[in-house]
Amino acid sequence: MSEKLLVSLEVNGEVVEHETEPRTLLSTFIRDGLGLTGTHVGCEHGICGACTVVLNGVTVRSCLTFAVQANGGKLKTVEGLLRRDGSLHPLQKKFAEHHALQCGFCTPGMLMTCEEICRNKPAATREEIREGISGNLCRCTGYQTIVNAVADYLENPHG
Amino acid sequence: MADTNARRWVGKSILRKEDPKLLAGKAKFVDDIQLPRMCHAATVSSIYAHARILAVRSDAAKALPGVIAVVTGAEAAKLSGPLPSRANPTVTQRCLAVDKVRYVGEPVVAVVAETRAIAEDAAALVEVDYEELPVVADMDAALQTRGDAILHPERGDTNVYTVVHRKWGEVDAAFANAAHIVKKVFRWPRVSAQPIETVGAVVEYEPATQHFFFYSNMSQQMIASGGLAAALKVRPSQLSFVPMYVGGSFGGKVGVYHVAILTAILARICCRPVKFMEDRLEHLLNGNQHGSDRRYVAELAIDASGVFTGLRCDVVDDYGAYFHLALGSHGNAVAQITGPYRMTAVDYKVTAVATNKTQQGPYRGFGGEVANFVLERLVDAASRELKADPIELRRRNFLRPDAFPYTTPTGNLYDSGDYNGVLDKAMRMAKIEEWKARKAKQRGNSKRLGIGVATVCERSVMNVTEFWFFEDKPLNPVSSSPESVSIRIDVQGVPIVTIYAPCWGNSPETLAAQLTAEHLCVDPSTIVVNYAGTDGGMLSKGPAGSRFTVMLAGAIEGACQALLAKIKAVAAHRWSCNEEDVEIDERGVFMAAGDGHVMTFAQVAEASYLYRLNFPKGDRFTTGLAAAYTYDHPCATLPDPKTGDLGIFYPIVGHACHLVLVEVDTELATVRILDYVAVHDVGQVVNPMTMDGQIRGGIAQGIGTVLLEKYEFDESGQALTGSLADYLIPTACEVPDIRVSHFTTPSPLTSLGIKGGGEGGRLASCPAITSAIDDALEDEGIFISELPVTPTRLFELLRATASNRAIDESPEVPEPLTAVEHH
Amino acid sequence: MMASDDGSAKVLAGGQSLVPMMNFRMASPSRLVDINAITELDYIKADGNAIRIGALARHNQILGSDLVRERCGVLAQAYGHVAHHTVRNRGTLAGNSCHADPASEMPAVLLTLDATFHIDGSNPRSVAASDFFLGMYTTAVGGNEYLREIEIPMLAAGRRGYFDEISMRQGDFAICGVAAVMTIRNGVCSNARIAYCGIAEHQFRLTEAEQWLEGRAANAATALACADLAASSVQPGGDVKASSEYRRHLVRVLTGRVLETVFNESGLERT
Repeated sequence: MSEKLLVSLEVNGEVVEHETEPRTLLSTFIRDGLGLTGTHVGCEHGICGACTVVLNGVTVRSCLTFAVQANGGKLKTVEGLLRRDGSLHPLQKKFAEHHALQCGFCTPGMLMTCEEICRNKPAATREEIREGISGNLCRCTGYQTIVNAVADYLENPHG
Repeated sequence: MADTNARRWVGKSILRKEDPKLLAGKAKFVDDIQLPRMCHAATVSSIYAHARILAVRSDAAKALPGVIAVVTGAEAAKLSGPLPSRANPTVTQRCLAVDKVRYVGEPVVAVVAETRAIAEDAAALVEVDYEELPVVADMDAALQTRGDAILHPERGDTNVYTVVHRKWGEVDAAFANAAHIVKKVFRWPRVSAQPIETVGAVVEYEPATQHFFFYSNMSQQMIASGGLAAALKVRPSQLSFVPMYVGGSFGGKVGVYHVAILTAILARICCRPVKFMEDRLEHLLNGNQHGSDRRYVAELAIDASGVFTGLRCDVVDDYGAYFHLALGSHGNAVAQITGPYRMTAVDYKVTAVATNKTQQGPYRGFGGEVANFVLERLVDAASRELKADPIELRRRNFLRPDAFPYTTPTGNLYDSGDYNGVLDKAMRMAKIEEWKARKAKQRGNSKRLGIGVATVCERSVMNVTEFWFFEDKPLNPVSSSPESVSIRIDVQGVPIVTIYAPCWGNSPETLAAQLTAEHLCVDPSTIVVNYAGTDGGMLSKGPAGSRFTVMLAGAIEGACQALLAKIKAVAAHRWSCNEEDVEIDERGVFMAAGDGHVMTFAQVAEASYLYRLNFPKGDRFTTGLAAAYTYDHPCATLPDPKTGDLGIFYPIVGHACHLVLVEVDTELATVRILDYVAVHDVGQVVNPMTMDGQIRGGIAQGIGTVLLEKYEFDESGQALTGSLADYLIPTACEVPDIRVSHFTTPSPLTSLGIKGGGEGGRLASCPAITSAIDDALEDEGIFISELPVTPTRLFELLRATASNRAIDESPEVPEPLTAVEHH
Repeated sequence: MMASDDGSAKVLAGGQSLVPMMNFRMASPSRLVDINAITELDYIKADGNAIRIGALARHNQILGSDLVRERCGVLAQAYGHVAHHTVRNRGTLAGNSCHADPASEMPAVLLTLDATFHIDGSNPRSVAASDFFLGMYTTAVGGNEYLREIEIPMLAAGRRGYFDEISMRQGDFAICGVAAVMTIRNGVCSNARIAYCGIAEHQFRLTEAEQWLEGRAANAATALACADLAASSVQPGGDVKASSEYRRHLVRVLTGRVLETVFNESGLERT
């Protein structure tokens, strides 16, 4: 199509350089270019939220962002939530304890959204959590257990 | 039946074994597969609902750098046969349309390229010449059309796939003698599962051995591989499926559709691995997974004492362009057609029609949810007409606990139940008197409250006869529905359980570990669970028809019994005692006489694996400690064409009572759910946490069906809901907190008394929520009989009642309802 | 870069509207000009009696801006109905305006605020809000131009507004949305602006209602009468989400509710 551009960015704390076409979506870049397949693609039109990642401190739909736009930025994907030793982040543990996932396909995007809610609104009410995750579709859980997990994490951030 | 309280692990909410890798983003879904030299496919889809394909021009696409192949329907048909079909005479569907397209979105041409983006670029360059044909856009048109509007002229000059009319019991007498007959017309909308992961496949073809390797989120791989192999014109042994995690199915990924077949032949043509993932648009328009699309004329006969005596359903079902599963979803609907009520007479007629839309596939409930909706709506209508309390009317007609095992009018069996027990518990949880007081307080305000009730059966553990027992000449009258497991205790004493169906969001690893732990008396966290694909060789039907947990439990019990026998034999030989004197509990293997003989599993395993010559010759002491078991349906019978008895095919029957409190804003015509109580009898619960998750998820989907979702088409067959901004799946703000509990009558037919519970949330929620909406509007006399209840629909109902034009929104039925039947 | 193009070039800011259309291949711009690196366009600033919002200001920045909340509260209040947090992180008010989805909330609010749109390109100019939204996905911004800034007058003393809508789900576009801004002094309305989204080809001001309100008492009777006038004046479209008649009904109910809120001084001048 057109010539490739070099994209350089920090991904989950590690500096990465990778060539890609200007039209490559960030979601494709993360999954196919960087091999970080934890970020999922559900709709490619910005409705389902499965591809949500954190770019420069805020969540973005990686299917609505071009990879080249992340150049020079800081990217965090679900793989970056894990502790250095590979163990689960306390929020991820709350998801398991509250059965906040079934098929797990929406989960990475949901986790990134919830992590942002917890950073922005440490005193979020259940209603605020619901509104906060309303841009992420889950077809399995009915959402209640996700709200439970986030509410519990906000009360007990260390487990 | 063992005492529930004595169970070690079954019944406990242990954490899921699936979660750590799913949470870490490490579980492999099909789109995560990257193979060396893998290329990517995209399709050119029909822009017309009904048209002849005159020409395909693909030179420009082929000339695009990076394009590997452009394949037309005619070319694909040389390498693949039609998709598997259960209908007789068959309805021919191909992975790419040949000669004719029959719905918007039907794939016509496939392009393979180095990247998906290039494949899409090339697909945009393919030109297809069409000659438009008359479009059959709805079921009424389908009943009348002829000539060029016929989708499948080879089946006759009709768009009616089939008509079946059956009667059981003295149904005409029941209606002739009825004191009251409640008659309603219902319209059930075309909705579907729309899991967040679309359907996809990666296929690698090995020319030397003519072998296909599939990475796919198609479920039922073992069972489906026969049909898939036939479509690929090879033997099933030439297919290998690698198990993958599946991003939700709810029925939508059951069965062999175009994606797997098309990807396989593209891999064969290109001699390179090919990935084809549907995009969301394709999954919405072309996923072969839209659910039931039905209109009912339904009647309930009631005697002078308020007892239901007969049920009549005259159903037209818009199956769309193809008829892959024949009348399977109506087989399902009659499994519990009389619900939880004593009723001995049923008249059931179904007319299946072809229209220019994507065909139906299963969606959580598979037609049974529609039957539940219709029956519960009729009961609500009856309570209104008889001025009876809807709950008391239900109680009057419930089957009593001593009625089980109960044979339904059609010949199916209900194994156990206590419907008043479930209802009583739900009413206690809801504090129904408080709800009533709240409702009374709001009466006359613009914001009204309504209380909805549904008491429905939850047939579970399908047997496959439902797919063909309505056929005069069934093409393939299969009656096996196996599930297998193999368990080995390794040389260190660790139980390793292998299952043969992929994880699609149910919790198979957790359940397998819990069930195995129960029998072997070990901690489930020490058990390893893994998946085998088709190369693992054991039969599996996988999750469908709320069968998997029960069937897995049966298989695990069988395998564990064999293992325990071997363990006891080893220990008895070591201790020179009788096997009956060897017992097993959480402490290990020990001699019941209590003289201090104890072995760990590791010691037994070590002896079994390494010290063959310490044991006598013969089969009882073969080396190793492993057992495999294939379990088939615990209680199913064949239909009897002579008597019309459909046989037993769904006998593990749970029950649910849902009570819902809604607020209807009559000014804005909007609905908000304020409180929701769901009590289910799913027999012995294996893991309450995951069971409740299934129930809540099903209710969320029911909320979508009742309030938001519907595939809409215009008169030319163009889809008006072609994105997730138009096909509206509930968000976290539309689904309330739901209080879930259980009331258990164990199944006498299954391992540990378990019943299936995967569909109950959706099987019960649709009538319950609808019931609440019209309870809120009882002063207006509004009765809902068409879904979804969107604000526009509610506004129209309110406006009509305000001007006294109607009090019942029953859809119009064109008269006469005479189908052009095919012979 | 845009000027050298054949006219189908597009400016990429937040991408929340354009990229979905590109992913569906409903839009295939010959050239995409990403302005995200032009940090000079990323501002929300006070300038005399105006708030100037640059092309790169994200929805969430505007929503969270003290300046906006204090001097133009209705804009922040209306944001409570716009999309979802993640979309607002990236999406821009300028991009949202240029996309001009007829059901989008912000164009209606900008109409009631008498915003001015500053367009750059071969013919730099300023366009009043009432001349900016021309049709479905169509604005005054031409092929080789881009929207540099939106200038919003701060609400003067006594002037206040409110926005409300009905959408099918949380965060969805409106099937009917109503924005109203007016001056209320001594219980009397003047200089009213009422605008609608989600009911026609593009957002529009209902001048009949605005003029009718001039000099009327800010009370419940006025709200009801104006709601009736509005409902009989609009010609709402019908689609798969809502019928024309239902939309007309919502115009009546929501206009009444929005006006009552504004009249009750809970309308937003300052929050």
